[in-house]
Amino acid sequence: MKPDSRLLAGLALIVGLLFLSPVLYSVFMSFQTVDGYYTGNFEFTLENYELAIGQYNFARYLLNSIVVSGSVTVIALTVSTMAAFAFARFRFPGGNLLFAAVVATLMIPSHISLIPNYLTLARVGLLDTYAGLILPAISNGFAAFFLRQYIRGIPVALDEAAYMDGATPLKVLWRVIVPIARPAIFSMGLFIFITEWNNYIWPLVAVGDEDLYTLQIGLARLYRVNPSEDVVNWPLVMAASTITILPVLLGFIFVERHLVRGITMGAVK
Amino acid sequence: MSGIELTDIRKSYPGGPEVLHGVSLDMRAGEFIVIVGPSGCGKSTLLRLIAGLEKCDQGDIRIGGKRVNDVAPQDRDIAMIFQNYALYPHMNVRQNIAFGLELRGVAKAERNARAEEVARTLKLEPYLDRKPGALSGGQRQRVAMGRAMARNSSIFLMDEPLSNLDNALRVAMRSEIKELHRQLGATVVYVTHDQSEALSLADRIAVLKDGDLLQFDTPGAIYDRPANRFVAGFLGMLPTNFLPIEALPFWPGKTGLTVGMRPEHMKVHTSSPQAAAIPARVVFSEMTGANLVLHCESDVGRLIVTAPRQDMAGGEETVWIGYDTDQAIYFDAQSESRVDMA
Repeated sequence: MKPDSRLLAGLALIVGLLFLSPVLYSVFMSFQTVDGYYTGNFEFTLENYELAIGQYNFARYLLNSIVVSGSVTVIALTVSTMAAFAFARFRFPGGNLLFAAVVATLMIPSHISLIPNYLTLARVGLLDTYAGLILPAISNGFAAFFLRQYIRGIPVALDEAAYMDGATPLKVLWRVIVPIARPAIFSMGLFIFITEWNNYIWPLVAVGDEDLYTLQIGLARLYRVNPSEDVVNWPLVMAASTITILPVLLGFIFVERHLVRGITMGAVK
Repeated sequence: MSGIELTDIRKSYPGGPEVLHGVSLDMRAGEFIVIVGPSGCGKSTLLRLIAGLEKCDQGDIRIGGKRVNDVAPQDRDIAMIFQNYALYPHMNVRQNIAFGLELRGVAKAERNARAEEVARTLKLEPYLDRKPGALSGGQRQRVAMGRAMARNSSIFLMDEPLSNLDNALRVAMRSEIKELHRQLGATVVYVTHDQSEALSLADRIAVLKDGDLLQFDTPGAIYDRPANRFVAGFLGMLPTNFLPIEALPFWPGKTGLTVGMRPEHMKVHTSSPQAAAIPARVVFSEMTGANLVLHCESDVGRLIVTAPRQDMAGGEETVWIGYDTDQAIYFDAQSESRVDMA
């Protein structure tokens, strides 16, 4: 290693630690008693995690968040990929207008659709259900737009070769386009998952039943849990936060392997 | 085996001019047909219409006697080799070759055996587990060919399959394609802009220009009796010399015709011969091996001729060009169509 690259690596390490410091601090705090936190004497404990999972139902919230975010990611990716393929490859009457409408949805702030979505779901009786949490998020204009742009970059000759090999359009999508677009699809999946994982407003509005709360709602409620008057139990909040960020971190590590670039190399010429 | 019959095919793209103006071709089963023409003449479009990747505006496409205008590409039982190979980058060579069989529900063991058999024929066995990104241009070309061969189709369409290869590989692959055609006995429709490829591969050649079929005949007939001046100029190793008959000393008194004189039929003399000849000045020469290609200026116009290297060893600047008039091809000066002279 050259001296200047060693310097650069050291600098990168320091900057990385700086970015990571709030997370590390909160993880560290989550193993501390509340008295220790306020008196400044560190006392190691697992009580905060026991409290969060046992008394404050965080295991259930974690399950809810996984079910909702996982379902939204899988369904939204499926819908968006199919829409993107259609927009990228097929000419049909009104296709451009339809695509413009999809792009236009990106300009609508999500809060504008909050009340219409609530009223619609109330009318069909889907409030306080998993479906009510999942359905409004499955149509994702940004994902359709992003994936359409990616698919347009894949040579059409590959589709044509597959058609000549005997594939139907769905087979072309599933066996040729999806494997090649995998880096983009996984990136978009990660983005959708994190967005849904962090979604606070919609679950707050759509769900009243405590058994359907997601982690974000549960986390917000912890601010109101005081061991004594006017004192927030920060170590408990930090333990719950750690439970909240851990699956996302693990998910990223899993997906990161799939974000391989340059997979189309050697396809044509 | 299936023949292909095209009747009055017309095709235009939205907002563009018509690219094919009523092309009719009758390709017999088992024939090696080469469609040749300059860039933009519509030859690839014609191939894509046969494949079903495009729809024609008018006309009939029949394969094995059955009208297929509205049949999807996957149902036409045609194998196609693309100019840029279009190999699936996420599949290895074995999977690329066997993909068509897999889509047709062939069992894994059987399709793997078929892929290996094809790979053996194409000398691809050592690369079966490699992905296209790890192959050279020539190997990718073979995989593309293997993918087409694996399915035992009765029709093969090839869209300039050798255009991305270097010259030595192109010549080698050309003979392999010819040999494969002999073995498979399938109907091959091969598109190229390379006239030497057309002459060496084809049973019959279709010459296209600006969306019109100019001539459809055997290579020999096209070379000896081109339909018009364009065909004469397009097919042949060296550009044909076109000169007005009245300017030439070989046909005294004749007028109204253009004569096409192929360089290989012209004789270069280093001193004035007894017979009629055109005196010319050598502007520059190109070495092609045993022969030199001489680019000459003369009173009748610019001429391209060939001469054995040893004849030009003295670096002659002035030559006399004689001609075997039996080899001449005559064209009407106005219409540019060939005129047969008794």
